[in-house]
Parts: sequence; structure tokens; C-alpha cells
Amino acid sequence: MTAGLELQALWAALVLYVLAGSTAIFGVVLRRKPERMVLAFLIIGLVLHTITIGLRWERVGHGPYINMYEMLLSNIWSLILIYSIAYWRLPAIRATAALVMPIIFMLMGWLLMSNPYDGNEPNTYHTIWMFIHIGFAKVFLGTVLVAVGISGIILLRQGRFSGGRFARMPDDKKLDELSFRLMAIGLIFESLMLITGAIWAQDALGRYWNWDPLETWAFLTWIFVAFSLHLRLAYKTTPRTSSYMIIVVFVLAFLTFFGVPFVTPAPHQGIG
Amino acid sequence: MTMIYKESMIWTGISKLGSLKLTPVILALVGIGAAISYRNEGTTTWAMALPLFLVALNILAAVLTNKKFHRNKPLLIFHLALIAVVVLVALGRLTYLRGHVELTEGEEFSSQLAEVEKGPWHWGNLNLVSFANEGFTVQYSSGVKVKKIENSIRWRDEEGKEQQGVIGGLVPLKLHGYKFYPSANKGFAPTFIWRPKKGGSPMLGSVHLPSYPMHEYRQALAWTPPASETNLWIMLQFDEVILDPAQPSLFRAPRNYQLIVRSGEQRWQLKPGESVTLPDGVLEFEGLRNWMGYSMVYDFTLPWILAAAMLAVGSMAAYFWSKFTSRPWDK
Repeated sequence: MTAGLELQALWAALVLYVLAGSTAIFGVVLRRKPERMVLAFLIIGLVLHTITIGLRWERVGHGPYINMYEMLLSNIWSLILIYSIAYWRLPAIRATAALVMPIIFMLMGWLLMSNPYDGNEPNTYHTIWMFIHIGFAKVFLGTVLVAVGISGIILLRQGRFSGGRFARMPDDKKLDELSFRLMAIGLIFESLMLITGAIWAQDALGRYWNWDPLETWAFLTWIFVAFSLHLRLAYKTTPRTSSYMIIVVFVLAFLTFFGVPFVTPAPHQGIG
Repeated sequence: MTMIYKESMIWTGISKLGSLKLTPVILALVGIGAAISYRNEGTTTWAMALPLFLVALNILAAVLTNKKFHRNKPLLIFHLALIAVVVLVALGRLTYLRGHVELTEGEEFSSQLAEVEKGPWHWGNLNLVSFANEGFTVQYSSGVKVKKIENSIRWRDEEGKEQQGVIGGLVPLKLHGYKFYPSANKGFAPTFIWRPKKGGSPMLGSVHLPSYPMHEYRQALAWTPPASETNLWIMLQFDEVILDPAQPSLFRAPRNYQLIVRSGEQRWQLKPGESVTLPDGVLEFEGLRNWMGYSMVYDFTLPWILAAAMLAVGSMAAYFWSKFTSRPWDK
């Protein structure tokens, strides 16, 4: 009964996200601004998605962080949540939904193909540090996603497709400043993610850092964020160059979040 | 005049070393070092130590020569805290100790670690650590996945008082800066009383069979009794299923078992209380106990690294906050 309701709520949420993304894309192509409709679809979708996660948590007895299905389920939720806040608070960048939502669609497709088995919560997951660590990680990825949307606009404007479709948005310099600020916020949250992850690893594994694949990829992502911010400050890079760097950061972060679990199942399991 | 010129040259050199334009290059080197460490375990230390040393030099030189750092306190604190993190991590690598020890139920820790890895400056007091394994439970979920480890221990605290408690999971035993974590590396320990033929008091000892259930089908071991020249091969034999993959279960010693003991062409089957006479003594099989493997770590820099890292992130956040709130992004 609960599982059936959980699945129905999930499907309804995914359909609403697809509607939000499609409406945003049509809005850009047809030069319309269906912004309130997009925001409504996102918010209702989020409510249903939250119900799905809550029902599953109640049913299986642990949060959505054990297997790939659960990681995708919770990350789509957090990405949509953070993007919705940006969409609501920054009206000038709402056209980015046409670029951001297809990235979410890809994760949604992956989610539907993943095995939704219940999984077992390892012995080492019973700590508040894990939740704090995951929370910071999600804010980091969500912030970078918003920056990727802005970077995509900067890059698209230089191509033929744009045709003035993004002309009403702030100029490249201002968008570049906003994406820089988002990356700075991302750096803070990624730093906090690494620190809290180290505290958890110290308790769970008896060492705060071991250069395992997940730690190494997370560190490389952090270094690249710091590198791109310093490069921008020291060499006054163009908005175009900065945009490419933000996309590289997102790719690195994406591989860390969703690629490394394929390389090794060991991280985050602990010595237990 | 020459002196002033030399000082000016040194100052110019430090300024160049602290240049912001150099920072991305050094950060790229740190990234390359991390990638090398990831691919080649043996070169981890130097591949990371050199670029991190350069990071510290770059920041230190920037702090000394860049006036922006002097004007902006959060920026200054952030970079000083970063230097502190790098220095503390290096100090931690020089003074850390990591080890592994196995204790039979009822056995006391004797400061001897089975495996040790430590920094050259480790000055810890492992000999002051005193605790005993009083037995444990390991709960498994279906699929034989560890769910919970609880290990009863008895220890002498830093004031010399006897204490009792339970450790496991994320709760280690903390003594004299050392942390002991019971692990899923555990197994069965046939326990013997060895009475040497030449006299002397009987000795109680146990043999740790390979970890269970990791080596479920290899519960055998070659062993020589203390002060003996008789090489033995012992194997634990039982038929019952201890950990059922189909349902949650609890690690425990088998109820019905026997010990196979072989020496050359001779072979014995022993039940608890039975003994075998060997050329240089009598070996009595007392029974079966469990052994627990403990991971042990020592690193006094950890709380300081955490404090420095939190200070770095806090000051970085304060710096960005004042920078961003002073001017809207679209103005």
C-alpha cells in the first residue's frame, strides 16, 4: 500500500518536472515567459517528491543514501529544491531552466532505470555527521548546477541558436559575476562537505583521509573550484573562459557524486 | 646602499613568490599530485607534500607582501588558517600511529600490535594503555551484512581506575590519545592448556583462526605450541549454519564442533576437555572462544586540524559575505 503510494507520488513528481522543463524550453524557443507556470510545476513536483522520500524512509527504515536509486532520488530532490529557490529569488536568470532541467531529466531517466532495492544501512551510518556531510554536499552540487545554467546562457549567446532569445537577460559580465558568486558559495559548502566527511571518516573508518576514490575525486573537484576562482581573479578571465571552467567543475562534481560509486562500493561503508 | 639593495631584492623575490598569478599554477600542481597519489600508492607522500609545501610558501609570501591581506582581516585569517592546516597535516603524518591488534575473549591488551604503521616522530604512550576484551556481539542483516557491533570491555582509565563499558560502531575506546575500534574482522579462537613435558607451569593460550565469515571455508591454521618444536595443523569442524544469508543473524560460536589436530602422519579429533600427548608436552583443548580484531589510531593533531579548517571556512565565508553584500551582482 505504502510502496504503491510512494511510486505514484514519484511518477507524479517526475511528470511535473518534465512539464516544468518542457514549458521552460518552449518558453525560450517561442520567446515567451511562462515563469509562474514553471515555478508552480516545480513546487508541486517538489511536494510530491518530498512525500515519496518520506514514505520510502518510513518503509525501509533509513534515509535515501544507501544505493544509487536512493542517491539519485535524493539528489534530484535537492537539485530541484536549490534550483527552485534560485528561480524564485533571481527572476533575471529564469531562462536558465531551459538548460538546467534537461540535466535533471537525465538523472530522472537514470533513476527510473536503477534498482530500487531497500538496501541495508551499514553500522557506520548512525551518526549526525553523515547527515551534515550529505546536506553540505547537496547544497554544493545545487549551487554549481545554477552556475552551470548561467554559464550555458553565456556560451549559448555566442552561438547562432541564441538569435536574441536571451537578450533580455543581464549582460555576460553581470552573469559572470553571479556565477562567480555561486561558485564562491559552492567552495564554502564543498569545504564544509570535506571537513564533515573527514570527521565522519575518522569516527567510522579510524582515519580522516585515505585517498580512496571518492575522497580523491572530491578533493580534485575542490582544488579545481579553488583553481578556477583564483584564475578568474589573477588573470581576469573572460566570461566565456569562466563558463567553461564552471562546466568542468560540474562534470568533476557529477563524476564524484554519481561516477565513483561504480568504481568502488567501499567508501562510506566503514570498517564495520 | 648595497644592504638596502639586497633587502629590496629579497623583498621582490618574496613578492613574486606570493603572487596571486602563481597560485593557480600551484593549485594545478596540487591537483596533479593528488591524481598521482591516487594512481600510485607508494608515491603518495611526496607527490602531495611538495605542492602543499609550495601552497604554504605562496600563502605565507602573499600574507607578508600583499597589502590586501593587511587591509582585510577575514582574508588574512583564512589564509593563515590554511597554512595552519597544511602544517598540522604534515605534523600529523610525522607523529601518527595506526595499528591492528587481535584479542581473544578475556585477553588483555599487552601493547603489542599485530600491524603497525607510524610516523618517524611518534612519541605516544602505548605501554600505558590497558584494556581487556570481555566478549562481543555482531548483528548481521540478511545477506550477511554487518549491522551492529557491540564489544564489552574492561579498562584502566588515565587515573588508574578500573572501568567497564561497551564500544563499537562509531564509539571507540579512547585512552592516552589512542582510539581502539572493534571491527568486523573477528573469528573463532580454539583455546588450549599446554603442559610442557620438561615441567613448569601450564600455559593457557589460544589460536586465532582466519576471520569469520570472510574465510568461512578456511577455518584451519598451522601452529606450534609455546617452547615446543612440534608443528601442528589445526582445523575447526562444524556443520551448522552460523550466519544465514536469508535472514538476520548473530555471530556466535558453533554449538557442536570438534577440532582436528594433525602432526605429521598423526591425526586427532578433539572435543572440549580432551587432550593429546605430543613428544614435548600435553595439549589440552579447553574449548572455543571468539577473537576480536581492533583497529587502532593515534593522531594528536586531529582536533587542531578541525579547528583550523573551521576557522578557514568561517573566515572565507565572512570575506565573501562582506565582498558580495557591498555591491549587488547586477549593478
